[in-house]
Amino acid sequence: MSSLSLYVDKGSWLNRLHPYVKLLYILAAICIPLIGGKLWLFPIVILCSICLLISGRCFRKSLPLIAFSFTMILVIFLVQGLFYHARENVMFQIGALTFYKEGVLYATKISCNILNMLLSFAVFVLTTSIPEFVDELEKSGFPPKFAYIITSVFQIVPQMMKTKDTIVDAQRSRGMETEGKLLTRMKAFLPLISPVVMSALINTRERAIALEVRGFGRKNKKTILSERTKRPIDTFLEVLLIVLILLTLVWRIASCL
Amino acid sequence: MGNIFKTKLNTATIVLIPACIGINYLGKLFASFLKLPLWLDSIGTCLGACLGGPIIGAICGALNNLIYGLTTGDNITLIYAITSLFIGLAVGVTARLGFMETFPKSFVCALAGGLAAVIVSTPLNVIFWGGTTGNVWGDALFASTQAAGMPVALGSFLDELVVDVPDKILTIIITFLILKGLPKKLTSLYDVNAQIERLD
Repeated sequence: MSSLSLYVDKGSWLNRLHPYVKLLYILAAICIPLIGGKLWLFPIVILCSICLLISGRCFRKSLPLIAFSFTMILVIFLVQGLFYHARENVMFQIGALTFYKEGVLYATKISCNILNMLLSFAVFVLTTSIPEFVDELEKSGFPPKFAYIITSVFQIVPQMMKTKDTIVDAQRSRGMETEGKLLTRMKAFLPLISPVVMSALINTRERAIALEVRGFGRKNKKTILSERTKRPIDTFLEVLLIVLILLTLVWRIASCL
Repeated sequence: MGNIFKTKLNTATIVLIPACIGINYLGKLFASFLKLPLWLDSIGTCLGACLGGPIIGAICGALNNLIYGLTTGDNITLIYAITSLFIGLAVGVTARLGFMETFPKSFVCALAGGLAAVIVSTPLNVIFWGGTTGNVWGDALFASTQAAGMPVALGSFLDELVVDVPDKILTIIITFLILKGLPKKLTSLYDVNAQIERLD
């Protein structure tokens, strides 16, 4: 069964790290270059994320994510490089296309930002299991009802994917066309999606009854199956990241004065 | 007017939210399976908004993007959680005002959802991507407005408009057809004004 989450347990030190430390890393990775306001901060943070991914043995899994973002980056370079609103200095020409210096610079900034966010998220996403993360959230006072919503999405979606395959086969065997002109494909959308949606919604009724019977609506404090304590390294890294963000802030303010 | 935002947060609505998020995902999946040039990834949000009210719609929309952003590593969708939130809210409010009852009226709903999406997405597009949206048709239009020397915000606004409004109109049509086909015993679960009659 295909899973929605990209998480794989490699047993690396990143897997064992507390989820909150990794969340804080995302915050630091995004904030530091933005607060610092210098272009050279981006490559440093991006390199840092890549090193973390390699040390967590999941760099190869992040490559499809990077490849996906490259199409977006390419579009940004084309549109901004050619048509940036404050274009003045010509950078280079390819045939009839003229790239402007300001536009390319602006596009570089946006692209670095995208790549940076993508990689820092990859550090979190590829190394954190969702049930564990949700458990941690619940322990820090996150409402259990919302925690249920998050975990159940990961159970429902693979189920729906299975039903999707069944329905595509069933409708095709009845002679429905799913390829061809745009209009044909548009017409195919409703017969494909409505059976899955209907069954999903009708199932919610039964699921609600099943949960009610098991005391889902009770207001008591819920207990948690797996205990997990913070290790010294988690606290150390948390403090380090916060100090780094604050230092950047101080440095920016000092350089402005 | 006070009960437009009235929400029942019971088990039935809690269970509805993950189902709606799944439906959103499925819509996107089918749209890419059939190679349609639209997203169609807010059918679940609209269903949630029509059944559970604007608050449930907003929760569905925001959580949808947060969950996919945090699990599939596609953090581009993460920022658009705000957009989805407002789509759910706008559709929920118009649905509660009675614009989902007949087919012609549902276009008001679609317009509300589409405009909410455009208004919220445009600043996000300008701040994060310099105005592009990632949709081929919209970005081609954006490039031509920039070539003509129009301001970035206007170009980005038009970029969103040509993509989002048709997308939402189709989404609402599908939502409307699905809603009409749902059994009464299911829809009555989410009726906020329902009252239990006692016979004793």
